[in-house]
Amino acid sequence: MKLFKYNKLAIMAVVSAALISCGSEDQPGESQLDFTQPTKTALDNWITTTYLNPFNINVQYKWNQNTVDNSRYLFPPTIDKVKPALEIVEEIWLKSYSTIGGADFVKKIAPREIVLVGGVNLNSVGTRTLGLAEGGQRVTLFETDYIDQTDRDNVSEFIHTIQHEYIHILNQNKPFDEKSWAAVTPVGYTADWYNYDIPESNEIGFITSYARSNINEDFAETASMILIYTKADYQAFLDGIQSPFAYQALKTKEALVVKYFKEAFNMDFYALRDEAEKNTTGVINN
Amino acid sequence: MKIKNIYKYLFAAILILHLSACNNNTDAEQLFDKTPTERLNIQKSELSQALLSSQFGWKTVYFTDNTVLGGYTHLFRFAQDGTVEMASDFDSDTDVYKSEYEIQLGSTVSLTFTTKNRIHLLSESDNYPIPALRAKGYLGDFQFLYYGQENGEVIFKANRNGTEIRFVKATAADWADLPKNLVTEENVIGSDERPLFRLLETTDGTTVHKFDFSFSSVTRFAESNSIEAGYSVSYNMGVGYTPTGIVVSPAVEVGGQKLSNFVYNDADGSFTATGTGGVSATIKYTDKPLVLTDDYKILLPGKVYARFGYYVGDYIEDAATNSKLFAAELAKINASLPAGQRVSSVQLYLNHSLGNFIYYTFVGRSALQHYVDVEEDPVGKKIILKHKSWNGNTTVATPAFLAGFDSYLMDPNGIYVKKENFRVFYSNTVYTFTSSTSPFRMTTWQLN
Repeated sequence: MKLFKYNKLAIMAVVSAALISCGSEDQPGESQLDFTQPTKTALDNWITTTYLNPFNINVQYKWNQNTVDNSRYLFPPTIDKVKPALEIVEEIWLKSYSTIGGADFVKKIAPREIVLVGGVNLNSVGTRTLGLAEGGQRVTLFETDYIDQTDRDNVSEFIHTIQHEYIHILNQNKPFDEKSWAAVTPVGYTADWYNYDIPESNEIGFITSYARSNINEDFAETASMILIYTKADYQAFLDGIQSPFAYQALKTKEALVVKYFKEAFNMDFYALRDEAEKNTTGVINN
Repeated sequence: MKIKNIYKYLFAAILILHLSACNNNTDAEQLFDKTPTERLNIQKSELSQALLSSQFGWKTVYFTDNTVLGGYTHLFRFAQDGTVEMASDFDSDTDVYKSEYEIQLGSTVSLTFTTKNRIHLLSESDNYPIPALRAKGYLGDFQFLYYGQENGEVIFKANRNGTEIRFVKATAADWADLPKNLVTEENVIGSDERPLFRLLETTDGTTVHKFDFSFSSVTRFAESNSIEAGYSVSYNMGVGYTPTGIVVSPAVEVGGQKLSNFVYNDADGSFTATGTGGVSATIKYTDKPLVLTDDYKILLPGKVYARFGYYVGDYIEDAATNSKLFAAELAKINASLPAGQRVSSVQLYLNHSLGNFIYYTFVGRSALQHYVDVEEDPVGKKIILKHKSWNGNTTVATPAFLAGFDSYLMDPNGIYVKKENFRVFYSNTVYTFTSSTSPFRMTTWQLN
């Protein structure tokens, strides 16, 4: 046991050496980091009271290289264009979902951050990316500098982007029935969807050409297009479809969307559509 | 070795390590005497102070990529409250606009223009000058990484592609004179009255070199290649406009000197950059093609029948080699014709069985043949067309509506003929006919 005692002593020596060594009398000084808050403009305050406080959604309109793709030639919005864009988002998206889904719906499932980009996000093949939804957390909206509230088509396109990206956010929270969806129009999905005219895509059961890129986009396009159509316009659109197969496919997809909203969020999709229609008309007529 | 000994040595080793550790006397070289955070903070405040220090703000000619594009002058005036006033010569709007900026921390301390202003026009994906830059705009950036100061200039590098950007202190005159850059732009493009040919001439005091010179106004980029055999130097450069001339990047290097500031001379439309010791470079106009060819010879008497034609409303109309004066003169013919009549083609027949003639065809009236004699100017390498008759009748005067247009082809000093190396839609060879004394150039297809 001689060895054991010797070990004990040695361990004590080592431990005490470890504990008392490297002692230093220097105390940490003041932080070097800059904690001063940037001065808030009236716009910043408006965002705080309209988005941040009620919905816990942060809005980034100032350029931050970490939230955009630096390989794209984009630019931040003009300050004067920020509020009108956000008002449209608030009116058509936040209000519609709050009314139908309940006051807390958007608070629970919403992008935690909306990033506004002023410029057009042109792709090298000639298509424009209008919006992005990432990880259920962030929505990026492009072309906010070109919103013209007096132009119905222009506003519709912007609204379409918001609705489309929010459907992605919903899907990223609760997946839809992908198996059933994929069975509706198994052929027709293609990476070069932009080479097809929209009427051509309609006739094989897709609501837009972009819907043909994959089933996730198809779902988001189907839901968001129905939301931005008025009830009458959507019916007219369906009535214009020549192919019985395409008509049936579109109706099946519509039913799947309605089922998704009911089962996943206990929401009446048609009521939501009517509410969105009401609010859209409100925005355009203002 | 016994296990006991292993423990012994192990303990001893650990003890020694403990006792000898914590030595502060490192001999490693201290690169910095401050922590990274401290250094970044110092840089931030240094940049911020510098930007605010200039009374009339800062000026930069931003060459986003001087291999394809020219320079865009920007003026900035930074304010303490995070706003910046800005003007640029990107387009005809040289007004001052206000937006926001921040000193941000990226890969290093950077100046970022955080909301839209003039500088963002260079970074608009769907506004691009040439198809090759599709979705890339003008390759511009608006986040500039701070690289220190030198001789009162603030040096940045673009976050996107590392292009160097230098801010120099602006003056009151810089702000007032910015619209003059647009006048300079017109002068660089060149008025319709100026001759059709342009060259860059360099001299190091003794040797003169000549280069052709072509400028694209949409990209603000000039290409200049040596016209001398066995001397293959090119100067391709981005052009930025100043109130008095142009600034080019990369600089034109002559005799070891870098020339970048060219001064405009309104008398002859030239731009000259002057170095020391007789070194200079001049961009100037000339009436004469830089390279004279023997292409005119196929038109001379005794050669085989040759026919050339320009057709109104056909692809040849779009050839860049048709000069503005040519188009204007063609329009004049139509303007002086009665309603319902217009010119439809201009053709040249050489060594035809009927002789040599310019053949004008019209919509709504019968064709006219202007018979000519063809003479050679072997020294000037030109042909001279001499009047013989109209439709074979020597007593008929030149029709008034054709007189203006016709006189350029009948230039008594002769016309240059060039077989071009491009095609215009069809596989026909393209020939141009250029007046030797005025900026009149017609593009034709060879028809046989």
